[in-house]
Amino acid sequence: MNVMDDQKAIEKLQKQVEEIKKEKEEFLAGWQRAKADLANYKKEEKERMQGLMEYVKQEFLFSFLSMVDNLERAEGELKEEEKNSKTVQGFLQIGKQLREFLKSQGIKEIEAQGKDFNPELHEAVATTQGENPGKVVEVLEKGYMIQDKLLRAVKVKVVK
Amino acid sequence: MAKVLGIDLGTTFSAMAVIEGGEPKIIENKEGARTTPSVIALAKNGETLVGVQARRQQITNPQNTISQVKRLIGRRFADEEVQKDKKLLPYEIRESKDGGIEIKMGEKWLKPAEISAMVLRKLKTDAEEKLGETITEAIITVPAYFDDSQRKETKVAGEIAGLEVKRVLNEPTAAALAYGLNKKKDEKIVVYDFGGGTFDISILEVSEDTIEVKATGGDTHLGGEDFDQKVMSWLVEQYQKEEGIDLAKDPLALQRLKEAAEKAKIELSSSLETEINLPFITSDSSGPKHLYFKMTRAQLESLVFEYIDKSMTLMEQTLKEAKVSVKDIDEIVLVGGQTRMPAIQEAAKKLFNKDPNRSINPDEVVALGAAIQGGILQGEVKDVLLLDVTPLSLGIETLGGVSTALIAKNTTIPATKSQVFSTAADNQTSVEVHVVQGERQMAQDNKSLGRFMLDGIPPASRGVPQVEVSFDIDANGILNVTAKDNASGKTQTIRIEGSSGISEEEAGRMRKDAEANEEVDKKRKEIVEARNMADTLIYAVEKTIKDAGDKITPEDKKNVEEKLDALRKVKDGEVVEEIQKTTQDLSEAIGKISASLNKEGQQQEAQSEEKEEDKKPEEGEDKKPEEGEAKEE
Repeated sequence: MNVMDDQKAIEKLQKQVEEIKKEKEEFLAGWQRAKADLANYKKEEKERMQGLMEYVKQEFLFSFLSMVDNLERAEGELKEEEKNSKTVQGFLQIGKQLREFLKSQGIKEIEAQGKDFNPELHEAVATTQGENPGKVVEVLEKGYMIQDKLLRAVKVKVVK
Repeated sequence: MAKVLGIDLGTTFSAMAVIEGGEPKIIENKEGARTTPSVIALAKNGETLVGVQARRQQITNPQNTISQVKRLIGRRFADEEVQKDKKLLPYEIRESKDGGIEIKMGEKWLKPAEISAMVLRKLKTDAEEKLGETITEAIITVPAYFDDSQRKETKVAGEIAGLEVKRVLNEPTAAALAYGLNKKKDEKIVVYDFGGGTFDISILEVSEDTIEVKATGGDTHLGGEDFDQKVMSWLVEQYQKEEGIDLAKDPLALQRLKEAAEKAKIELSSSLETEINLPFITSDSSGPKHLYFKMTRAQLESLVFEYIDKSMTLMEQTLKEAKVSVKDIDEIVLVGGQTRMPAIQEAAKKLFNKDPNRSINPDEVVALGAAIQGGILQGEVKDVLLLDVTPLSLGIETLGGVSTALIAKNTTIPATKSQVFSTAADNQTSVEVHVVQGERQMAQDNKSLGRFMLDGIPPASRGVPQVEVSFDIDANGILNVTAKDNASGKTQTIRIEGSSGISEEEAGRMRKDAEANEEVDKKRKEIVEARNMADTLIYAVEKTIKDAGDKITPEDKKNVEEKLDALRKVKDGEVVEEIQKTTQDLSEAIGKISASLNKEGQQQEAQSEEKEEDKKPEEGEDKKPEEGEAKEE
């Protein structure tokens, strides 16, 4: 009788211990996960902040580049005799200054003219008939790399 | 536990997210963008391109560039929609043997699911690279109106991409999940989704942990791109009128116009006017031509008015079909980039007479919701570790009856905060700590949770003893407040149970109360603070005069004492400006004396008192004495 009862009690307790053990592991795992999550979150937050800074810089550069584009369009329209004007020369010098600034930011122009069309760096916005299909015949808007990463694809005209 | 990728597989763009640290987070693709164009291409060199690269080469290779495949997935070739779309799609499609659809890409004929799989595979690969772990499971969202076959095909696409699709989730449901609306009971929700190329309306009903789609509506060929198109046409028209040149004939000019139109539209969501400035847009025999227009928000709104109006008509129609009245709708959720337009938000607000939910980025909300669904299915650790927040601020009463919060409302618990306070009177040997809960500025308006005395503080001048008060609230909301005198080491503690066990209604009522009384409370607090400052200054001045003895000239002394009297008279009045002005006068007078006093010790003392004053005006509580004692002494 007694032995039976004891046996039962022991079994019950063992079962309880098992349950508690399981629960303990669950709690510990949850706790560890929470701590790890926080630690990872902190790291990611740091990365995210960096990413955000880069993003802000990129947005700034995008706006800046569209001004450079327009300046270059203006330069392209200049006639030779107009370049003798001191005022025009002053404007050209500003253009030089802007390009110098881009260089100082680690921004490099992407070569495209005469190359094979490459969608990693080039964006086709127009096509034309011609002899070498798949070649870039004209750069319509310059593209740039920043520290070996694509900042803006070059807009090009491609031979169909 | 491997992560479940939440994927918003869109008609024009796709996005993805995972749960990290219990929160959904968008994952950028390899190119660093938060969304990926749902475009696939077979390049001339036989390479398969996905996303932005596929889009960049689209015009050189239109027959082999597949976009908007979502319009075809799981459909029968004979479907009316398919026959309509067929005319608009630049690539070739045909009927498959089983009545489905096949798309021509290069030499091969592929099923829509195989095309979608390429987008999904890119997302999977990019996510794996970003997260540094293998992804095998995903939740993919589809429009609520998708039928069984469309859902099944979407699932197949996931499987082809090597993903086990744990669930095909409705897009509006995902959006509701992202806003946590699944926790509400018996609510009706409208999801207004204005994407790039589609407009979807869904009416959802939330009950006991399930979200059911009651009705759907919309227009599969109305989207943000139509808005851009409208702006572009307007620009072309205006230019034609002013310059007599048709820019629509110049592909390069059109490209620049398209970008400028979208940019103007976006800018007009946050500002009332923008300029469209495109120098050297074209040229004629007379030389280069420029384009410059100003566009106001009102102008934009009148251009696209018909679209917004149409969307609202469709909305009313859907409500009618679902037999739901406008009054029955509890929440409105805005999805899709176009809903950033203030006129759309206004229109939704006007129709439902409610502010729509729009705090989450509308381009990302669906992917975030999909990630949340993934987290729910995984069970995460939520069962074990459900963290609560404090519904109201917890703090103590300080000098003048001001309520100073130590633990702000919405702080995730468990949490610990402590702050050092001091005495209000000379030789004060005890302080009373009165623990209060609520958002009101004055302690008496908040709920009192308990109070206790800390005594045995060694006698010292006011402001000298350092009494550190710590609040520790555990995960069950049990609050332990301890006050410790740093000099004697004496401590006293109170344990308050159920500080967060306040009912939701009561907490809500208290918060509302605080909002309603914000202005009045602020005024009262200002007066008390001005009085506290006056008191501190009076004390400091008295001490300075006493310590200085006859080192002060009689005129100076008389001058200061007059100002001292003036301040004593006004300080208990109700006019803040008067108290502040008189305090300022006295402060200047004593400042002059302090400067002229030669003895360094005295000078320093007076200055340090003054400095303390300077800090106090706004958040001066830090070292302020408890209120109770000021009265007692």
